[in-house]
Amino acid sequence: MATVTIDGTEIEIGEGERLNGIQAARRAGVEIPHYCWHPGLSVVASCRMCLVETGTRNAETGEISMLPKLVPACQTPARDGTIFATQSEKVKHARACVEEDLLINHPIDCPICDKAGECHLQDYYFQYGQRSRRADLRPFTSRRRPVGETVTLFVDRCVMCSRCVRFTREITGSSELMIVARGNQEEIDVLPGFPLANKLSGNVVDLCPVGALGDRDFLYHQRVWFLKRHEGVCTGCSTGCSIFVEENQNHIYRLKPRENPHVNQWWMCDDGRYGFHHVHREDRLTAAERRGDDGYEAIEWHDVPDEVERVFGASRTAACVVSPHLTVEEAYLLCKLIRRRFPQAGLFLGPVPVVGEDETFPSGFTIHAEKCPNRRGVEEVIRHFAGDVATLDDLVDSRDGGLPDLVWLTGGDQQPSIDEATAARFDGVAHLVVQDLFDSPCWHRATLRLPGAAFAEREGSYVNFAGRLQSARWAVRPPQGAWVEGDLYWRLLELPGMYRARTVLDEVAQQIPCFAPAAGTVAAEGVELDVSETVRSE
Amino acid sequence: MTERVMTERVLNDELTAAIRALFPRYPTRQAVTLPALHLVNARLRHVPLRAVVEIAELLELAPAQVQDTLTFYGFFKQDKPHGRTRAWVCRSISCALRGGEEILEHLCERAGIEPGETTADGRLTLEFGECLGACDFAPCLLAGETLHKDLTADKADAFLDSLE
Amino acid sequence: MAEFEPVLLAHIERSGSHTLDVYQSAGGYATLRRVLAEMQPHGVVEVVKSSSLRGRGGAGFPTGLKWTFLPKDHPGPIYMCINADESEPGTFNNRVLMEEDPHQMIEGAILACYATRATTAYLYLRYEYPLCLERLQAALDECYAAGLLGENILGSGYSLNIYIHRGAAAYICGEETGLIESLEGKRAWPRIKPPFPAVEGVFHKPTVINNVETLCCVKHIVERGADWFKSIGVPPDPNNPRDAGSYGPKLYCLSGHVNRPGCYEAPLGITCRELIEEFGGGVWKGRQAKAAIPGGISMGLLTADELDTPLDFSGPGKVGCLGLGTAAVVVMDETVSMVDFLYNSTRFFKHESCGQCTPCREGTGWALDMLRRIKAGRGRLVDLDLLLEIGDSIGIIPGTTICGLADGAAWPIKNAIRKFRGEFEDYIKHTNPQGYMVTDPVPLELAGAHE
Repeated sequence: MATVTIDGTEIEIGEGERLNGIQAARRAGVEIPHYCWHPGLSVVASCRMCLVETGTRNAETGEISMLPKLVPACQTPARDGTIFATQSEKVKHARACVEEDLLINHPIDCPICDKAGECHLQDYYFQYGQRSRRADLRPFTSRRRPVGETVTLFVDRCVMCSRCVRFTREITGSSELMIVARGNQEEIDVLPGFPLANKLSGNVVDLCPVGALGDRDFLYHQRVWFLKRHEGVCTGCSTGCSIFVEENQNHIYRLKPRENPHVNQWWMCDDGRYGFHHVHREDRLTAAERRGDDGYEAIEWHDVPDEVERVFGASRTAACVVSPHLTVEEAYLLCKLIRRRFPQAGLFLGPVPVVGEDETFPSGFTIHAEKCPNRRGVEEVIRHFAGDVATLDDLVDSRDGGLPDLVWLTGGDQQPSIDEATAARFDGVAHLVVQDLFDSPCWHRATLRLPGAAFAEREGSYVNFAGRLQSARWAVRPPQGAWVEGDLYWRLLELPGMYRARTVLDEVAQQIPCFAPAAGTVAAEGVELDVSETVRSE
Repeated sequence: MTERVMTERVLNDELTAAIRALFPRYPTRQAVTLPALHLVNARLRHVPLRAVVEIAELLELAPAQVQDTLTFYGFFKQDKPHGRTRAWVCRSISCALRGGEEILEHLCERAGIEPGETTADGRLTLEFGECLGACDFAPCLLAGETLHKDLTADKADAFLDSLE
Repeated sequence: MAEFEPVLLAHIERSGSHTLDVYQSAGGYATLRRVLAEMQPHGVVEVVKSSSLRGRGGAGFPTGLKWTFLPKDHPGPIYMCINADESEPGTFNNRVLMEEDPHQMIEGAILACYATRATTAYLYLRYEYPLCLERLQAALDECYAAGLLGENILGSGYSLNIYIHRGAAAYICGEETGLIESLEGKRAWPRIKPPFPAVEGVFHKPTVINNVETLCCVKHIVERGADWFKSIGVPPDPNNPRDAGSYGPKLYCLSGHVNRPGCYEAPLGITCRELIEEFGGGVWKGRQAKAAIPGGISMGLLTADELDTPLDFSGPGKVGCLGLGTAAVVVMDETVSMVDFLYNSTRFFKHESCGQCTPCREGTGWALDMLRRIKAGRGRLVDLDLLLEIGDSIGIIPGTTICGLADGAAWPIKNAIRKFRGEFEDYIKHTNPQGYMVTDPVPLELAGAHE
């Protein structure tokens, strides 16, 4: 164990830990301001905002010797006996100088800049700057130029931290971003014909400490201080990046990655990042309907459970297709519900969408070809109830006895998961219950149509490609008329009170051995499960 | 800009061979960046974006990496070739003390261009230079590969008259 | 002054001094032959170390000591970078050495590479030295043809290649790690240290970087011995245990307002006045010296009263200059305005700042904005205080920047304003009688910026 002192407070650092001054100070509750340092990128120590005083304490004599010059905390290792002083007059003066320097040529665009409210330059000015302008007055330019389809650049706001350039060199290896010129004429740019076009491009906006890089998808849509953030999990693929869903008044404005050293580090891909607009599409299904002789009749939202009971009563045999977009809790409740009423019911894994190949970037970050968040979780639930995992193909290909009276289909994906040809196999089914977000071939054949929830409306857990279970909070309410799957199953099972994913997960953890680590509390970074690897047939 | 110009390679066989010949000197291809830029610049009197892309291909780099390096120096013109003679007039302290700034002004006035510009007939590009390391012969200018020493207004005029 | 036999410039008067034939006819490469036949690399390191040779590139770090920072038993490759990017305003001694006696440097370089077990040396030559390029390339070709470079030099089993790598007119490429980044093909942004180049340098391998004049000294030290070297120059101050002394011959560049600008050799420690009077023929036009740069513009200014400062590694520091630097003296006579001097200096550093760290990138720009405005007649007295504040806060000495360019930018500001404050105040009051006392910000001066 090593002892490091920050502003008089001693903290311990573990044997294998390698921390710099910024990280060590955080442990002591001290935040050292910085622009260019980022734990996921190389250390350049160029912004000079993290300058602190440092020294060592002699272990035997207790004598303290401080270096006469300031050092960047980001490049100073915290070792046994290291001392950091972050509040001295020297340090305060150095920070004030950097702030003043950065503001000499920076256009004060705050009223029109997206970054206001989450801008390092703003925040540090109030905390460490507070000088009125002393440099010469000049007309400011605030030029904007495109650097790619997802990101736009407000050139003059840049503070030359070089994080974005280092990201495209070190993380994606695509090196689209560059610095041009020298000295205070330097700018970020891309070469004409070679725009910022990698699949992780949106991350440079997260990295930019000021409003130089803007997200074109979010630009000018919402002030960040109105946004409420909810911990979520991306459902775009089986990587299962930890995310924040940021919304205001029930409308999602953006997704941001959430730091998770076990899954996505600090990043998320563009498909995931910008893949939330479907939640607010105009053509979301909102009306529950039953098929009558003259077409579909609307069912009141509160009448849905009774309608389902009626359908159960009218059926002797049943099968259920559990979508890999459902949470573990929803899958469990659905299977429990169906099996309670139909002990012989077939349980089938819904279609698993696969697009292209897994794509791994130089940093190790991977976008998976499997475009659903919870195949492994749903498989384990089905395996628990049915012994092994059958798929949709097994259902529609079975000839013996034909299809059951009742087939319950679940969806939840942005696109319909079952195509016209496969959907046609359900034409003869007496009761086809379909839960989904959007119109689809199955929706057209449904005898009972139940609008369902999008990912940001669910609360529950997903198991990613590596067997890690992560839990997500719901962020927005579904449109009026839709039943969140978990809510509906909870109600149909006649459980008391309202659906609580945590309660269900505890039961799952108790009932299904591989989910045992999820009992009690699941950490923000998730928990590793020992789930079996299913051999998938193409 | 005609299509032919867009698709024609800037790096001909000779330039490509000259760049490749440098590969064995360094353990990385990236280290050949500056020498490659010099080779192209010596031939074309500028390094157009097209050449940047081709150099990057040859060196197995992203084009932006080559452009990043190129623009750092402020040495390589990109829009169009510099004059047949490119003259740097030193403006650092030793030359300034012995009339270097006045020589530059004189040359600019006679040639009718500002520092950084090229005469309309393409004969001359005038630049200010930082210390040329010839302070023993101040004021001086470097034109191409020739150092012109102990300049006076007359010598500057003679220099201009000698240009082709 | 005692009679001093030139060492570094001993042969440049000879016709063809830059050729192998002439060099060898005067005994050149005999030392290399002897060393390869009789000495081990560490023996060469010991000789250089005990000579207390300090680098001639500007920092004055003990060369032999620097060589010992290389990791022992490293599998290699180990690289040498010959820093021929001489760009410090006022400095041209490396140019003279490379043009007139390139083999002297090459022999020193081969010895240094042998000592440090480097197998490839890159000679980073500034763009603006075309005659050096021509002569160096010819000299290297001669060496290869004579078996003095390449595989199995002189049958010793030691192999070395030296390649010339041409720069592109950026001062920061003379900074050790700026040179390395430039050599690697990137923008020349100096690296943070640690790691130091000896441990992780070019291509992430151990690298030795030495100045041209330093390598020439190496040749002579190995030839004549450490004791000979220490018989020239100034021994350490006995009261200062950290002083490594100022031994050996030194090339002093003299330029500006003197009758005979030129490169002159003398033992380390001659005074500025001696250099001007005895080598330079005195201040020109019968005038008096008002100020002199002691070691390249980064070092700041000596006043007329400070001209008896010895130009060794510790002298200039005692009168508030940054140090000896490149030992390039630039003389300014009584007609020179210090405002013009400082404008020229800040313009240079702003142009050359690599732009990586905030204090230097913005500070040099801000300083130039103020000097331009002052020169244009819109200066304020408060500008002098702001300039001093910038000067006192940027650099590796306070720890606020990655490299020493900022210190070089700061010192002329600090020296000029502190040593000539009255002149600055008079100029400002005289040219801006209506506004010199204003403390609020004023508009930028836009005119006069082909900067």
